[in-house]
Amino acid sequence: MNAMNAMNPTTATKRPDVLVVDDEPGMRDTLVAILELQGYRVSSAPDGETAFAAVQDGAFDVVVMDIRMPGRDGVSVLEEMGNPPPHVILMTAYAQEERLRTAVEANAFAIIYKPFETRRMLGLVAEASQAVKERSQAAE
Amino acid sequence: MTAATVAAPNARRRGRLRLRFISIVMLIILGGVAVASSLITQGVIRNQERVLLQERTEEAASVLSGAFAGVQQSLGLLGTLAGTGKGGSSSFATAARSVIVPSSEGLMVTTRRGSGMVVTAAAGDAPAVGQAIPADQEPLARRALSTVGMVSGLLPDGSHSWLAFALGNAAGPGTVVWERAEIAAKTSSKPLGAAWGDLIIAIYVTSRPDSSALIAANTKNLPLTGGIQYPFPVGAQKWLVVAESPNPLVGALAQNTPWIILIIGAIVAGLVTTVVEAQSRRRDYAAALVEERTASLRQAVAELQETQAQLVRQEKMAAMGQLASMVGHELRNPLAVIMNVLYLLEMMADAQGSEAMARHLATAKRETSAATLIVADLLDYSAGRAPMLTPVQVADLVAEVLSVVPPRAGIEVAQHVDPDVAIDADRDQMRQVLLNLITNGYDAMPGGGILDISVRSTGESAQITVSDTGTGMDEETRASIFTPFYTTKSRGIGLGLAVTKRVVEAHGGTISVQSTPAVGTSFTVTVRVGATMASVRQ
Repeated sequence: MNAMNAMNPTTATKRPDVLVVDDEPGMRDTLVAILELQGYRVSSAPDGETAFAAVQDGAFDVVVMDIRMPGRDGVSVLEEMGNPPPHVILMTAYAQEERLRTAVEANAFAIIYKPFETRRMLGLVAEASQAVKERSQAAE
Repeated sequence: MTAATVAAPNARRRGRLRLRFISIVMLIILGGVAVASSLITQGVIRNQERVLLQERTEEAASVLSGAFAGVQQSLGLLGTLAGTGKGGSSSFATAARSVIVPSSEGLMVTTRRGSGMVVTAAAGDAPAVGQAIPADQEPLARRALSTVGMVSGLLPDGSHSWLAFALGNAAGPGTVVWERAEIAAKTSSKPLGAAWGDLIIAIYVTSRPDSSALIAANTKNLPLTGGIQYPFPVGAQKWLVVAESPNPLVGALAQNTPWIILIIGAIVAGLVTTVVEAQSRRRDYAAALVEERTASLRQAVAELQETQAQLVRQEKMAAMGQLASMVGHELRNPLAVIMNVLYLLEMMADAQGSEAMARHLATAKRETSAATLIVADLLDYSAGRAPMLTPVQVADLVAEVLSVVPPRAGIEVAQHVDPDVAIDADRDQMRQVLLNLITNGYDAMPGGGILDISVRSTGESAQITVSDTGTGMDEETRASIFTPFYTTKSRGIGLGLAVTKRVVEAHGGTISVQSTPAVGTSFTVTVRVGATMASVRQ
């Protein structure tokens, strides 16, 4: 489980910023709690519009976002992310093949099906934040 | 339809071999009518023939009777002449000569003298006056004397015979006036005269066809057994004429009518039978055809009904599938939240060091995983999606699945996993495959055992084998395990292996199973190794 090696972000100097986007309060709140427990700085948004605005305003390292939401969906937010874009992990409970292909083409970091193993989600977030770190180090 | 179409030609072939009952009846009836008509006609014509012959014979007899009435009259007149005293004899002779035509005819008058008869007057071929008549002529003379009216008879005289007519007491008491004519040949094949036409006849001087009394016949084939016998009066006695017709009196056409009727009847019977048979066969053929068509129509209707029922079933299934899919999708979010909550509670239990709580949470997590797997299988079965391929490190996937479904009490997991094997797969789907195979392995070992997971690469393929030392399966069960909704478990909906097979095949792979009852079962999934196997994202 190589993903687990990078799971604890507190060892790093800067705590990665994670944005959790889901219209389901239960999902949103538990993910926030779990990620905070792991030492991330976590923000949350209840819909696509808010998430898009949040991404434009603040620099997030990783976005964990549901695909199907009222109004703007996760894939459309992903497509219009600013530069440099944060790594986006998309969650879905539905088999929306067309949207999933679009998400892959828009360079989603990962797509994970609900319900998922919490440890796997944590592993993906860790992988994503590590990748962002490597990217910024390369840019310096 | 096939059975019906096979039976019908056999029936038709049997029909060719013999006539139908109705045709046979028709043939018998018409044939009988033809024969009866012919026989009746034959009877009528025979009767007619006889009537005609009778009429002709009567005519002939009437002519003869008339002719001989003249003879009696002549004898009477000649007798009166002979009886007129002196010179009577010469008057008789003179008058008689004017009557006699052929030289073989003779006329005479005899008178009883003592015990004999003596000629007292004569003319033509007759004994001389004064001569006694031969003794063999005496009986005719006596009969003439004792009879009122002319008698007649045949008098043999050497090689020939005389036809003699005798009228008693015509020239006074005891006298007999005779006329006699020589009959040289009694029979001849020549026609007797116009009065007879073309009849064959025989004339007898008696009322019976006695050959010694035959005086004329135009045939040598005597007696005429089949002819008409007609007695007619000549003087005071009866003669007999027997007549036959060599040719049909009713005409040749009438004679042949019975045969014509029989032939025409036979032809009509044959024709009608043929028509009846043809109609009957046509009707049978049509009936067979109708039966055949009806059978195929019934079959078509049955098939249609079955198809309709199937469509209804399919619609119901589709509706249920849609419902299952909707419910499944809606369950995914709450299940995900429950998983997260369980994780948070696990963290808290760890922090508090509560082993009981950790154990209970593990149970809740296992059951939630089982529910998650059921929902995933149901969703995949009702609306399976095409795999979205990404590089997948199989060892990672195995470890993750084992963390989700850790071995139950009494089960030991043995791993022979090559850590470098990577495949291009839909991670979520392949995870589901492993979850299904591993939980099946656990379920097959209720009393414990060893679950062996091996992952290895064989060149271009990756082989994932999950073996258990459980109950195993018999041949029948083994043949059905990939059928949807087939299950031998007390819980579960029987979709796990059906979905597993579908997913593996959607990845271009194969799945095989080997099983021995009471020994164990081994599933092997073979898929292509990933093109990016060497550069899997770390």
